[in-house]
Amino acid sequence: MPLSVSDTADHVYAHGLRNQWHPVVPSHFVAPGGLRKLTALGENWLLFRKADGTLSMLADRCPHRGAPLSLGKHLGDRVACWYHGVEVDGSGTVTSVPGLPGCNLEGKTLVTSLPVREVGGAILAYFGDDEHPEPADLTLPEPLTDPAVSAFLCYAEWDVPWRYAMENLLDPMHGAFLHHESHTMYDGDTQAKFRIRETERGYFFEKTDQRGVNFDWVELCRTGVDWVDLSIPYPPSAGPGGPFGIVGMACPVDAERTGVFFWRYRRVDDWQRDTWRFLYKTLIEERHWQVLEQDRVMLEAMPADADQYENLYQHDLGVVRLRRLYQGQAAQQSKAAPQS
Amino acid sequence: MTTEATMWPYLTPHQTRDHEPTPYELKLARTLEEIFTHDGHELADVVGGLNARQVRTPSGEPWTEETFRTEMHRLGA
Ligand code: FES
Ligand SMILES: [Fe+2]
Repeated sequence: MPLSVSDTADHVYAHGLRNQWHPVVPSHFVAPGGLRKLTALGENWLLFRKADGTLSMLADRCPHRGAPLSLGKHLGDRVACWYHGVEVDGSGTVTSVPGLPGCNLEGKTLVTSLPVREVGGAILAYFGDDEHPEPADLTLPEPLTDPAVSAFLCYAEWDVPWRYAMENLLDPMHGAFLHHESHTMYDGDTQAKFRIRETERGYFFEKTDQRGVNFDWVELCRTGVDWVDLSIPYPPSAGPGGPFGIVGMACPVDAERTGVFFWRYRRVDDWQRDTWRFLYKTLIEERHWQVLEQDRVMLEAMPADADQYENLYQHDLGVVRLRRLYQGQAAQQSKAAPQS
Repeated sequence: MTTEATMWPYLTPHQTRDHEPTPYELKLARTLEEIFTHDGHELADVVGGLNARQVRTPSGEPWTEETFRTEMHRLGA
């Protein structure tokens, strides 16, 4: 069952935009020869990987009577439903109906399969609705493909609506307050003027009067997948190589849950690269984790109707712009009659 | 193979290590941070800083630029 255009705009906004790519889980969540169940955009899916590493993503719904295929058995190049044994391959085609050989289900592609790509240790999938099954063009974030950049993925699961997770990223000012007690964002002015600067692929939201001190700017990039790029200075203890960057993405799991993906990257080579990687694994990763936990604690504590009763000011322009963009797109993707 | 248990939420602070750091690795990392904070960011600062602090290579020798590069490559690759 593909995502439906008859879902309301509110449903789409709550559960994640369609007709684009989203990250789903880290690559290592599904081993060669393994199955992995997951939820994304409010639907249940099955990741299926062959022994040679080839990955498929299927709707977690048997074409016979709807039992979850994720309860079934991995047969190497196909999965067998536990309920009555119907076998489905990675493209979603029924290869065998053991209870009734020759049954006309055999050979039919009856299970939705999503296009997948793997980048920087994460699985991306294209979530088309029933009018847009063909994958949108995807340009991967260059920090994840540039060999001069060294990146580590951090993945975490938050009980937070996906839009709060994105809004948090388009709100650099929280760095100087929420993360004031941290190894990287203790410095910088707690007052700032911001501006929006449009780009080909999205927009910058940035301080006009401070750069390179705290979390001072962010670029929203819409390149087939939505991601943010930002940069935060390291203290001298992190050694040579300058600031670290973050590529951030979010997987809308359902209306209340989000998978967050943060690649911490640095432009370093030679011994500086090796030294940064050693320090990151040994000491820095844990400090970054503590900063991320500050975000999680705050966002999970936000009331469900937080965005209904607000008094916004100049620092919130990046968030306002993001909402307008996402709400507009959700309305476009819904063919349901608008609710009154 | 069947489905792995799907545990929500996944909240794992360390996702990049393949082992718990050894006492030697921890000491080396902490000393490097101290050197970067107080001595400088050049390779010569690092090697000089380690030797001045009597932090030795695993085989007990003073560090050289070459042994430091090789060791970082082993630990950070
Ligand atoms: S429901 Fe899957 S085989 Fe019957
Ligand atoms: Fe934050």
